[in-house]
Amino acid sequence: MTFLEAAPLVALPVAALPVIIHLVHLYRRKQVPWAAMMFLRAAQKMSQGFSRLKQILILGLRVLAVAAILLAIARPLAGGWLGLTGGAPDTVLVLLDRSASMEQQNPAIQLSKRQAGLKNLSKAISDAVGTRSKLVLLESGTGNALEIPDAKALLDLPQTAGTESGADIPGLLQKALDYLTANKTGQTDLWILSDLQKGDWDRSSGRWENLRSAFKNLPGVRFHLLTYPQSPEEDLGIRIRDIQRRATETAAELLVDLRITRKTAPPHPEEIPLRIVINGVATTTKVTLKDSELVLQAFPIPIEKNLVRGWGRIELPEDAYPANNVFHFVFDDPPPLQSAIVTEDEAETDALVSALTASSDPQRKAVCAVLPAKRAAEIAWEKTALLIWHAPIPKPEDALFRQLQQHAASGRSVVFLPPNVPDDSEIFGVRWGPWSNPQKPLSPDGWRTDSDLLANTRDGAALPVGTLELSRLAKITGPGIPLARIPEHGPLLLRALGTPGAYFLGTLPGAGSSSLAREGVVLFVILQRALNDGARTLGNLRQQVAGAGALPEDPAHPWKAADEKNGPGETRELGLRAGVFQSGERLHALNRPEAEDDLAALAAASVSELFEGLDFKVLSDTLESTGSLTREVWRTFLIAMALALLGEAILCMPPRRTQETPRVGGIFQEPLREK
Amino acid sequence: MDGPRSFLDPAVLGRLMALPLHARHAMLGSVSGKHRSPVRGSSLEFAQYRKYVPGDDTRRLDWRTWGRSDRFYIKEFEADTNLRLCLLIDTSGSMGFGPARATRLDYARKLAGSLAWLAAKQGDAVGLWGVAQTPVAIPARRGATHLGLVLDQMAGLRPVGGTTLLSALHDAAERIRQRALVLVLSDFFVPPAELKFAVQHLRFRKHDVAAFHLLAAQELAFDFERPTRFVDMEGGEAMQVDPSLMARNYREAVAVYLRDMDEVARSTGMDYYRINTEEPYDAALARFLLGRTPKTGSR
Repeated sequence: MTFLEAAPLVALPVAALPVIIHLVHLYRRKQVPWAAMMFLRAAQKMSQGFSRLKQILILGLRVLAVAAILLAIARPLAGGWLGLTGGAPDTVLVLLDRSASMEQQNPAIQLSKRQAGLKNLSKAISDAVGTRSKLVLLESGTGNALEIPDAKALLDLPQTAGTESGADIPGLLQKALDYLTANKTGQTDLWILSDLQKGDWDRSSGRWENLRSAFKNLPGVRFHLLTYPQSPEEDLGIRIRDIQRRATETAAELLVDLRITRKTAPPHPEEIPLRIVINGVATTTKVTLKDSELVLQAFPIPIEKNLVRGWGRIELPEDAYPANNVFHFVFDDPPPLQSAIVTEDEAETDALVSALTASSDPQRKAVCAVLPAKRAAEIAWEKTALLIWHAPIPKPEDALFRQLQQHAASGRSVVFLPPNVPDDSEIFGVRWGPWSNPQKPLSPDGWRTDSDLLANTRDGAALPVGTLELSRLAKITGPGIPLARIPEHGPLLLRALGTPGAYFLGTLPGAGSSSLAREGVVLFVILQRALNDGARTLGNLRQQVAGAGALPEDPAHPWKAADEKNGPGETRELGLRAGVFQSGERLHALNRPEAEDDLAALAAASVSELFEGLDFKVLSDTLESTGSLTREVWRTFLIAMALALLGEAILCMPPRRTQETPRVGGIFQEPLREK
Repeated sequence: MDGPRSFLDPAVLGRLMALPLHARHAMLGSVSGKHRSPVRGSSLEFAQYRKYVPGDDTRRLDWRTWGRSDRFYIKEFEADTNLRLCLLIDTSGSMGFGPARATRLDYARKLAGSLAWLAAKQGDAVGLWGVAQTPVAIPARRGATHLGLVLDQMAGLRPVGGTTLLSALHDAAERIRQRALVLVLSDFFVPPAELKFAVQHLRFRKHDVAAFHLLAAQELAFDFERPTRFVDMEGGEAMQVDPSLMARNYREAVAVYLRDMDEVARSTGMDYYRINTEEPYDAALARFLLGRTPKTGSR
């Protein structure tokens, strides 16, 4: 409980006055010599329990009345729902979820979940803590801790503005833990403002277990979760899967693969207006939505014939979740799909070259350079989308080691194949183990079908990974995400942890090692997918997810919105906002992460599970709620005082005389005689 | 009347002399008196006829009846005798309740003294039993000198200690051998069930038992308003009582007690008078004497 005027609390011991007066009266009572003690004893026997209880109740109510009036004068402050404020802690750490889903808003008041939460939180912290506690903001956009002077600043800071990025809540909590540990913050109230969106909270992550045990060891940390789990009743969203420019002799057009989703299927076919903006010029067309999803493959958007490079967006009518009503894109003639193979055994490269040069897009040229290991320095790093490294892993001090790391970090792909003689060298924490030759060929017993290189095809069919025959296998040792697994051996294909484009394949495609080259399909799909993923970062165009680091800094060419009229006004944190941004020749389209399209929130039980064993409270708010987290509750205390006095008066009321009670005048009647 | 016998008021006595004290049951006196005796005697009051049996005094044969029926009948007459008035005054501490010089014991003394004087005046014997931890026991005798002794002893009674009323009643039942009017003056703050046994004991001994139940109105009304410390006048433990919490139950306890006392009086045939000590004692006495006066035509 927090009080705006603490001075009257000094007088709180006065509440004991009724008890003291009672005790004084007890010893200063008038003494009366009494003969009829037998009636007193009988009366006492009759009313012993209730009489004592009544007396205690009366005293209790008097104490309560005095205490209530003192507390009311002290202007107590309490939480709107659960009595949140429990005194001023040393530090208040606000963890703000700035993900796109927090921009869901109440159309009536044009206030998003983030804005409503910040407003409530700012007022609650100002009222309850004021400036007595150190106030620190840790937001999901940049993950930086920012000390702020006043809770009211939360409303105006650019670091609390909305973004179209995702949020990694376990990562944010890890940063909070690091901050608390490094700064020894003492008694800390940790406020988490979030919509509990499943994707952001990643409840299946193994990090939660570590976080729970680490926070349990930190004394004096209380969690307050201010949540807005409500999702809109209706929501339309748009996402573009792919965009290609196609030109004929007379015209040019953009072919867009797009998907429009609706939370619930419309009762009747519904016409949805699509506003298409190309280089700032808007046109409107309509599509008909018959179900909860509409997938349009190669939806044509005519453009000027000579327009080769540009940007645009497709917009849906604005609704309660505006962040998924628009999708930005950039287009250009695609650069050639260039790959390179560094090998120590050129006999193994034939199948690889065939798969890499057979482009899935006939309009796009695919080239592959094969280099022996000794000539690895000749790799055209800037133009290569996929590098296949069939050679010993370079030593860390080697320049090639750093170049490989940079290649993968820049978003391109690299597939490592086991060298003929594996050594102890490792890269991305992974190294090769010894070769093994099983007595009979092995086949993978499981592979990841939902995403990545071995995902099912677009029509849902699984790749024939299980039919592969593997007669020679190299062990892959190190952390990573296995994409295919061989029983009693380990991963066949592994993606390095933290580096999306780095893969390790535990066999060679040649007939002496596997049936990859012979069967062809799996090898082709793996290489084409890796090549296409790597090619996304070729050239000056990027189609990216908004987030920290999405727009690499270039002091010579600062980033700015391509659509200066309708782009984000704020020039800071552009990488967190959706839109098209340019820096020199570079043109990047940033959009929300796909996970932000699903607004499903964690259930209350799941939240309790995540914070099990920690001191936490969950305050579930809605955008329609107008209540405040804290409010002055002196009225409650005045009512309590009035009720206490009323109760005391009722208890003190003399009992009504009933007929059983003898009337003094009536008992001295005529003598009783023997009949 | 000043001095130790100041509890006697000549004016009251003068007024009450017109109301003789009657026994409600037959008495066995040693001399002739105004009270009915269980034995037949030679008074003018006809009692009954009975058949002659050999040995009867032939002088008491009713010759007229013989003449009418040719049978011998003896004509019997009532015998009148004197009364033994045994006064049992409770002198326990609780009898000291009331204002100074107007305590319950003072009131009892006035009642008992007046009745003793009236009884002596009509030739009856008077005795005194002080019911206390150091009991006074004066057997019933006639005569002015004996009356003086009784009154002097009465004047010296002081309210002290716990009550011994029940044992005193049993003791009196055993020690008063001849039929008597046993008049108990007390607040009767004893369990009614136990009192009933004591009274039945007296009644078994053929005594005419009368009781003056002396109660102060304040004791029944219990109209205190402030929390008070009640000190037991008989030496028991004091009690802190908030009347607002206790009064109701107190009055209920009083009601139950009075009902039980009425029941004791009914079941034992005790001549029971509940007296408010604020009532003039002569009125209470007149009520008592009138109440005992036999109805016309009966004895």
